[in-house]
Amino acid sequence: MAQNVPIIMDNGTGYSKIGFAGNSEPSFTFPTAIATRESAAAATSSAGSRGPALPSKPGHLASKRGIEDLDFFIGDEAIANSKTYSVQYPIRHGTIDNWDLMERYWEQSIFKYMKAEPEDHYFLLTEPPLNPPENRETTAEIFFESFNIAGLYIAVQAVLALAASWASNKVTDRTLTGTVVDSGDGVTHVIPVAEGYVIGSAIKHIPIAGRDISQFVQNLLRERGETTVIPPEDQMIIARTIKEDYSYVCQDIVKEFRKYDTDPATYFKRYEGQHSVTGRKYSVDVGYERFLAPEIFFNPEIYSSDFLTPLPEVVDGVIQQSPIDVRRGLYKNIVLSGGSTMFEHFGQRLKRDLKQIVDSRILASESASGSHLKSSGMEVNVISHKRQRHAVWFGGSLLASLPEFYQSCHTKAQYEEIGPSICRRYAIFGSAT
Amino acid sequence: MILLEHGNAIIQKTLSDKFEKPSALDVQFVDFDGVRYHMWTPEKKTGILLSMNIRCWDELAKYGAWDVLGKEYGAYLKPPAAAEPGYNVSLELDLEQAPDDPEARDALVKSFSLLRRHALAAPFVKAFQTQKQLDSLPDPTDGSAIPGGELMAIHYRDQEAIYVQASHDRVTVIFSTVFQEDTDRIFGKVFLREFVDARRLPTIQTAPQVLYSDRDPPPKIRDDPALPKAEDVGYVTFVLFPRHFTNPITAEATISHIQLFRDNLHYHIKCSKVYMHTRMRAGVAEFLKVLNRSKVEVAGEPVRKTVTGRTFSSR
Amino acid sequence: MSNSLRPYLAAVRATLTAAMSLENFSSQTVERHNKPEVEASTSREVLLNPLIISRSANERVLIETSINSVRMSIKIKQADEIEQILCHKFTRFMMVRAESFVILRRKPISGYDISFLITNFHTESMLKHKLVDFIIQFMEDVDKEISEMKLSLNARARIVAESYLTAFGS
Repeated sequence: MAQNVPIIMDNGTGYSKIGFAGNSEPSFTFPTAIATRESAAAATSSAGSRGPALPSKPGHLASKRGIEDLDFFIGDEAIANSKTYSVQYPIRHGTIDNWDLMERYWEQSIFKYMKAEPEDHYFLLTEPPLNPPENRETTAEIFFESFNIAGLYIAVQAVLALAASWASNKVTDRTLTGTVVDSGDGVTHVIPVAEGYVIGSAIKHIPIAGRDISQFVQNLLRERGETTVIPPEDQMIIARTIKEDYSYVCQDIVKEFRKYDTDPATYFKRYEGQHSVTGRKYSVDVGYERFLAPEIFFNPEIYSSDFLTPLPEVVDGVIQQSPIDVRRGLYKNIVLSGGSTMFEHFGQRLKRDLKQIVDSRILASESASGSHLKSSGMEVNVISHKRQRHAVWFGGSLLASLPEFYQSCHTKAQYEEIGPSICRRYAIFGSAT
Repeated sequence: MILLEHGNAIIQKTLSDKFEKPSALDVQFVDFDGVRYHMWTPEKKTGILLSMNIRCWDELAKYGAWDVLGKEYGAYLKPPAAAEPGYNVSLELDLEQAPDDPEARDALVKSFSLLRRHALAAPFVKAFQTQKQLDSLPDPTDGSAIPGGELMAIHYRDQEAIYVQASHDRVTVIFSTVFQEDTDRIFGKVFLREFVDARRLPTIQTAPQVLYSDRDPPPKIRDDPALPKAEDVGYVTFVLFPRHFTNPITAEATISHIQLFRDNLHYHIKCSKVYMHTRMRAGVAEFLKVLNRSKVEVAGEPVRKTVTGRTFSSR
Repeated sequence: MSNSLRPYLAAVRATLTAAMSLENFSSQTVERHNKPEVEASTSREVLLNPLIISRSANERVLIETSINSVRMSIKIKQADEIEQILCHKFTRFMMVRAESFVILRRKPISGYDISFLITNFHTESMLKHKLVDFIIQFMEDVDKEISEMKLSLNARARIVAESYLTAFGS
């Protein structure tokens, strides 16, 4: 069989990114949502009951009964059809929750969107760190048995994010050791990876991510009274647009405030909007939220009252919990991934704050030793690159276009020989070291 | 979605996006049956080049694919010699010179997304024309058989081919099918049998006649040297009558439709397997429930907890 | 339920119930080991005569008993190719999940489609009559499930063929 380009599918909690290897952007990015005919309540109760109802023998074409399971939409179409169908999200917190729906979701993404014959392609799928091996097995079962795919590789998202950073021109050696700061819409993870393997015990989650930043911007606007002109249903969307288009990370809040106060004309922006229904024009002042929004990563106390550890401290804590022999590598290669790390200067700020923490600790231990021992210093490096938004997908695309990819895949023949448990082990490849 | 769509979703989406906001682009992607596309902007952001590589291009070109594509795409089609190296056909589109009217744009996007369909249409178009010619010939008076048109073979996959032949009153289309896996083969057989039987229904009497044979190739194509030798080959024959292609609009629809036969078949085999999985998952859950009923509830001591809510019990 | 099914299941139920009088028994060949004797079959004196209950040529149950374990294997009725593949798929799907079906064997005995291995530890921690109920119910349902799957496959094929061919007429 001719070797066709591998297909990369990164199914996240909120969005799925699917496309072909070798490209720099996924072909499709749409919500991981599926709209089905059955009501949500029926779906949960039928999970345990006697399976789907037996389709009645159709006598005529008009009665299309028996193929209800083909009547569904995925992605943007699912959202668009939410009036008549019930929309469900088969992935919860990164792991697949409803296999029946997920299988159908995959079915349609392959046949309707990718227009690919699965038998001709290798697939690269992603999984969250600490995914139970049973889930990999079920995934393999679906892909090999239902879709007859030629070969499968399941990669950990954090590892792919590391691989994506190879595209940055600042990276010289292709290593799979590093710390991944992955911030999406729902949650932010800090994941240490050593030589392609995730150090599970040291992973930390931060309950602050994209959605919280938008919320925070909205709060700021409301406090200033800007929201009076914005139609209530658009408030969240406008907060998000302001976050995406105007926000950046500053190096010092106090200075930044002063800068804004002395010269408001250059720093304050105006956002021009239009009412989605009436078409009425309005405009909103965009002020301090420009630098305050992403600041909640570094000073969470300005937004949340229950999570108070700044991001640099969390990253430091994660690395300190990892085995001592990889810490140097972890500090040296901190990789950003996900849309909420796209703020300008985010990397520099993280690097500076982290460097301060590390340096002060080194200083303390030097003085504790009575200044007899001198540290050679610790290199702290935060890598940001152009592909950050879809870093995981891009990393997959990069890895799958390497020639080693085909050797590292599990093929259909191997699956038939060994069974689903084949997916419990996987090979790390592509790194130069 | 019961039947697959004809157009390529990626071309459609990318082109519409670029109409909104031109930007540099370089993507490679595929379509069914190993068709490869390369869509990129070689020189400037508004000059999009879409190239397609299709396995059976030489055969298609022989049967007049250039004419069909030329008629469809006109000036957008690059001359055969200027096609991108490694690809068979290239279309060039300058966004600046594209029509402004949104409807015309949509039509353009739509027609670009049907590139594969148009390329594959060539032998069918040719067969339909041949049928018309043969039909207008006078019947041979000496009782000999009426001559048939040329047998056109399109090897659109490694092991599978489409054969198209025109005769004086019909056009015969034969698909050779190979299934890679046992389950697929058996499921496929069920589907194909239904295709043969379905025509008995009064509502679809007008559909083309479908014949299915296992292993033995129909006599028409027995002489093709490239015929797959494998044991598990099946042959599906569609007999198209003039009513399926005399009207040009119907003819176009017939072509689009029959091309996707194999893909539809395989799509539905996959869907059935997905459905079986759903059922089996429900079945397993049910059996587990029955089995777990036999487990004795261990009453045991109540779990003791510390003030903070922790337990001492170890796992 | 057809006429011959009821006595068949009754016979299986009675035999299984009788066979499930198991006791703890340490291995006689390996010290401090406790193995299901029916699997290990190292000491012949603790094995009982195996028994086949057969309903028809292609539907039967093999029950092998020993002092501390029972192994029962089921041959499920398969009339044609489709039932064969469906049965194979379904049993394999279950056996992949043998972890949760504690009494399920990961591989069937040759000549059968699915095997269960019940040891004295199972009968001690679970209710015996419920275990028998489970197996009987499984035998009943698996036939039903396979024929339902076959029906639905045919129905689907019919609908697909119809919709595909109707599109030509338009």
